[in-house]
Amino acid sequence: MALIADPDEDLVRRVGQGDPAAIQAMVARKLPRMLALAQRMLGDAVEAEDVAQDAMLRAWKQAPRWTPGQAKFDTWLHRVGLNLCYDRLRRRREVTTATPPDQPDTGPAPDRGLLAADVGARVDAALARLPDRQREAIVLCHYQELTNIEAAALMEVSVDALESLLSRGRRALRQALADIRPGAEGE
Amino acid sequence: MTSERFLALVAAYGADARRWPEAERALARAFAAAHPDVVAPALAEADAADALLQASRVAYPSMALRDRIIASAAGAGLKAHREGRRWLDRLVLALGAGWAAAACAGVVAGVMMTTWLTADVQAEAVLYQASLLGVDDAEVLG
Repeated sequence: MALIADPDEDLVRRVGQGDPAAIQAMVARKLPRMLALAQRMLGDAVEAEDVAQDAMLRAWKQAPRWTPGQAKFDTWLHRVGLNLCYDRLRRRREVTTATPPDQPDTGPAPDRGLLAADVGARVDAALARLPDRQREAIVLCHYQELTNIEAAALMEVSVDALESLLSRGRRALRQALADIRPGAEGE
Repeated sequence: MTSERFLALVAAYGADARRWPEAERALARAFAAAHPDVVAPALAEADAADALLQASRVAYPSMALRDRIIASAAGAGLKAHREGRRWLDRLVLALGAGWAAAACAGVVAGVMMTTWLTADVQAEAVLYQASLLGVDDAEVLG
């Protein structure tokens, strides 16, 4: 099997040796990515912090026994983060009542325009309402900037299936936020 | 590249060519350049979706979270202060070596002094015995 070039290889090795500078560098490099992944997958800042912290703790435990060349550390860490997110999403579903509550109208008030923060909040809300797999595909490819092959492998689907999830997710977002789109009037 | 494949690429990955799969990027760019009328509506639609996605903002990690995670490294078994303690380890080693050298020097000095003092005592004994009548030096010295 061909060895996989990993830009994090040296850093992971030094973290495994307990190098404090490497530990700080790893936090600087990976924590924002883990936090962003969890925030967009869960839509909850507090839960996202818990997930990011848990994922990094697992990184500390994994680093001393990490075998370079078999996988990218960043991909492994995303797998860990996604699993933690899905654990929480599963728990949420278990406590959800049979009849889901009405979704609040997050659209703009008719008498005012949209500020950038409003748009961001509405996009986040629309992302949160996507089916989990569509949201995961968009988060991994668009926000986390993984390649299509990496994202498909993480999601354990083919690249064709990933592209289908991406297309459907993006289309659903556009429809949910049609009033924001310039020139959407009359559609 | 076919028209269908180009439209599928843009629908999935957006209008920014940098996000298209690397293996198809050059072909897709060439197709777009050759068929502007075909690609324009799809690119405009995808560009609007990209702009919406870019409006999403996430919080940057707080210092408190960063500190908690760095502290957790030690709890996970990583000796986070190992590098910082090396100077202390070296100092302890140097002090230990110095103490050992001093101890060895003390032992050598003690042996030499004992030999020297014993010689003095023996010489005094010889002189004392020599001052006595009827005593053979060989009895004292053995």
